[in-house]
Amino acid sequence: METKFFDGSIRRVMPDAEASKTESAFASPICRPKRMQRNDSSQPSSSMNQQNGNVSDRTQSGRSKLSKAQVTVVSGKLGKISDYYVEVSLENPSSSKKTGTQKKTSNPEWNETIHVTIQESSEIVFRVRNKGKIFDDPLVGQAKLKISSIQRSENGQFAGTPNTLQLFDKDGSAPLGTLVVVLKGTLEKRRSDVRRENSQVETTSQQPPPSQRRSATASGKTRDTIIPSQQAPANPEDQLPDGWEMRFDQFGRKYYVDHTTKSTTWERPSSTPLPSGWEMRRDPRGRVYYVDHNTRTTTWQRPTADMLEAHEQWQSGRDQAMHQWEQRFLLQNNANASDDPLGPMPEGWEKRADPGTGRTYFVNHVNRTTQWEDPRTQGGATDQPLPEGWEMRFTEHGVPFFIDHNTKTTTYNDPRTGKPLGPLNVYGLSVAYEKSFRWKIAQFRYLCLSNGVPNHVKITVSRGTVFEDSFQEIMRKNPVDLRRRLYIQFRGEEGLDYGGVAREWFFLLSHEVLNPMYCLFMYAGNSNYSLQINPASFINPDHLKYFEFIGRFIAMALFHGKFIYSGFTMPFYKKMLSKKIVLKDLESVDNEFYNSIVWISQNNIDECQMDLYFVADYELLGELKTHELKPGGTDIPVTEANKEEYIELLVEWRFNRGVEQQTKAFFKGFTSVFPLEWLQYFDERELELLLCGMQDIDVDDWQRHTVYRHYAPQSKQVTWFWEWVRSLDQEKRARLLQFVTGTCRVPVGGFSELIGSTGPQLFCIERVGKENWLPRSHTCFNRLDLPPYRSYQQLAEKLSLAIEMTEGFGNE
Amino acid sequence: MSISRRLQKELADIQGSGAKPYSSVEYNESNLLHWTVLLHPDKEPYSKGAFRVQIDFPADYPFKPPKLTFLTKIYHPNIDEQGQICLGIVHPDNWKPATRTEQVLMALLQLINDPEPDHPLRAELAEEFQKDRKKFLKNAEEFTKKHSEKRTD
Repeated sequence: METKFFDGSIRRVMPDAEASKTESAFASPICRPKRMQRNDSSQPSSSMNQQNGNVSDRTQSGRSKLSKAQVTVVSGKLGKISDYYVEVSLENPSSSKKTGTQKKTSNPEWNETIHVTIQESSEIVFRVRNKGKIFDDPLVGQAKLKISSIQRSENGQFAGTPNTLQLFDKDGSAPLGTLVVVLKGTLEKRRSDVRRENSQVETTSQQPPPSQRRSATASGKTRDTIIPSQQAPANPEDQLPDGWEMRFDQFGRKYYVDHTTKSTTWERPSSTPLPSGWEMRRDPRGRVYYVDHNTRTTTWQRPTADMLEAHEQWQSGRDQAMHQWEQRFLLQNNANASDDPLGPMPEGWEKRADPGTGRTYFVNHVNRTTQWEDPRTQGGATDQPLPEGWEMRFTEHGVPFFIDHNTKTTTYNDPRTGKPLGPLNVYGLSVAYEKSFRWKIAQFRYLCLSNGVPNHVKITVSRGTVFEDSFQEIMRKNPVDLRRRLYIQFRGEEGLDYGGVAREWFFLLSHEVLNPMYCLFMYAGNSNYSLQINPASFINPDHLKYFEFIGRFIAMALFHGKFIYSGFTMPFYKKMLSKKIVLKDLESVDNEFYNSIVWISQNNIDECQMDLYFVADYELLGELKTHELKPGGTDIPVTEANKEEYIELLVEWRFNRGVEQQTKAFFKGFTSVFPLEWLQYFDERELELLLCGMQDIDVDDWQRHTVYRHYAPQSKQVTWFWEWVRSLDQEKRARLLQFVTGTCRVPVGGFSELIGSTGPQLFCIERVGKENWLPRSHTCFNRLDLPPYRSYQQLAEKLSLAIEMTEGFGNE
Repeated sequence: MSISRRLQKELADIQGSGAKPYSSVEYNESNLLHWTVLLHPDKEPYSKGAFRVQIDFPADYPFKPPKLTFLTKIYHPNIDEQGQICLGIVHPDNWKPATRTEQVLMALLQLINDPEPDHPLRAELAEEFQKDRKKFLKNAEEFTKKHSEKRTD
């Protein structure tokens, strides 16, 4: 009984299952989006309520039925003219959603619909807030809506009529205005509820007794680790599903036998009924899958209320995410600049587009001639792409040199001209410009344009089934044809695609495929926003096909210069660039593992009994497997002398563990569209920007939600830091953010929702080191170690240097 | 297997030498990742019985710490009703890959013998321990007699 079986479904930890003692490396990280916890400073007493709220939430969710509903925040009547928005939350304030801000009005009309998951006992809280300029947005007034108090038809459908709510201040006194909301949807009753109502028995409180609550709160506060253990189900209702039996092995550990499939598992099977509209089926090979009749979709995972809520959150956040995504850009200044990465035209020249073909041509007004060639790049061979396998890099003095990856040699001579490029290139463009992101993009775009394929490729999808349709369409095409101009059509929405439809398709599809619910990708350990391949993706038997599809899709986004919704982890970008993964990369992915390896590298291991060999163990479906880090590694002990090699191999393996096949499939798809060498102008951070675009970073919001350690908000260095941040352009700000948090993405809700490896983690600046040190960062804690520099100039110089370095620098 | 070699060696060390305040390490030959150990604390009131503790080693061991869980109920400020323990040596922030299970067990015994009421998992027991030691000892002894296993030393 030592092998854990996989019963076909991966369940997230359910309220009743508790943390299973044998929670495997696979079962734990799957599709578990971290909930965002808002720090609401305007409500000093909220933390206590929150905890109680969580406790009661947990106990109730197992019993009462959850339904989806839509709340429309229609309008408000408020005393003063100001900028208002409404924050909508359930009892548990961790999942609040906001409307947009209506500016300069006392009668704001939002008319925004928000999706919520509710049950009979739910209470929806509406908080009207004043959009603040400097401080937290002050609360204007709040109103509560009890679900049980809303008029419903026989079958539980809400009447959909407007409810006018009185707004009160925090203490519940003094009406401050009104708010009109509409609730739509159906709240389905559980049979037991109906029974209870019919027999006119009063419902008793489902809150746990106070003592139980207190102990939960107390243990939540303890300093040290709490070792999770399996708890006996507190609830007698939590019986095992039919056909299941609980047994004990020889050590008294519980396991579960499924007599239907004749398999065993350590995980407690769920007795929670499937949500409404869901059905369990078996495919011809006997594998269990689930059908959602609501959306006519299927999934391999057993749906739970938690999962549906997370999915709902992902989906309902889409409009807001899309709004944010629409603001993204790649190069600053204006739209022209992004069309034209080469900068302004020379004196007397003008750029025009041929009205017939749209092709760009150039007018020389001085001698009244026209030409197709761009005068800014004319006259040299260097507008040609580098030969395949070649890459251009710069020495630390800014002198360009060339690497031939085919022969693994380097040279100062440009393979296109046979001559050195020199610190100034043939057009007199400065090296600094060549090093610039703008120049790199121009080179890459040139490669794409010159390798384009004529005509267009048509992709027709339905909005409701974007994922499946796109998968079918893209995989059936010859991959090189995906370089053709895209002609995307949504069924039922005829019209020509001049780029806008394609843009939207890239957003919608990326939002869909990256949704962790599909188990193809999962959030990286440290942040809510970067995604990595999920080692458990194989629960979808076709996963490799899907990864190949996603590889093609990502290549298309880069080739056609479109942004996708969310980005990958930095190590994943490094893989795309065939860069070596180093120890530091592990920090943000698996901090514990990282710390142990750092310990090994810093201590003399010959002095302690480590008993390590050149092998690595891992668990696959409950079975221990071994991987030799090098041939014969089983018998090679790790010593002080060879530990560097061991660490290098171990780190490499740790990143590929469980995802080799998926990664291979992804790159197979990607390179069928264009070769990865084309990307080699970029470093991993630039690649993230290229794929996701930049967004305007709101420095006020950033500063407002920053905390300090060993510095005060008024400290000189802190003042200088913000002064410096404000002086940066958006690209540099994005790079600073990447340096500290590991991604250039700001959470949709702003800096107050930054997530670290152990939960919500605000941006933090800590005073560390001496003035001659470079700043360092800890991406898993969103922390910047800023030495106490003597002057603004020194601070600006050191920080600029640190954020330009891609690796091995400023890192510990 | 790297992990098995290390664990086998740790097992041998634990079982090897003389009298120990713990005994009978049980494990499965085919999977060394899960052990149970019977602890014999030597201080009142826990010296009246023996306590079974489960040790689960992660596949990433020794890069990640083992997890310890009490299988025997115990009346102790630092061990909760579910058998969860606050133990600094296996906390992810403190964990060192060179730490051996023998040291972990010694640290655990130390904690059992000398509770740390300043970092309790059960606040009410910590309070009793600090304010009314006599009552605490009496309760703990009764609890130990009722729930603990027979000592084998």
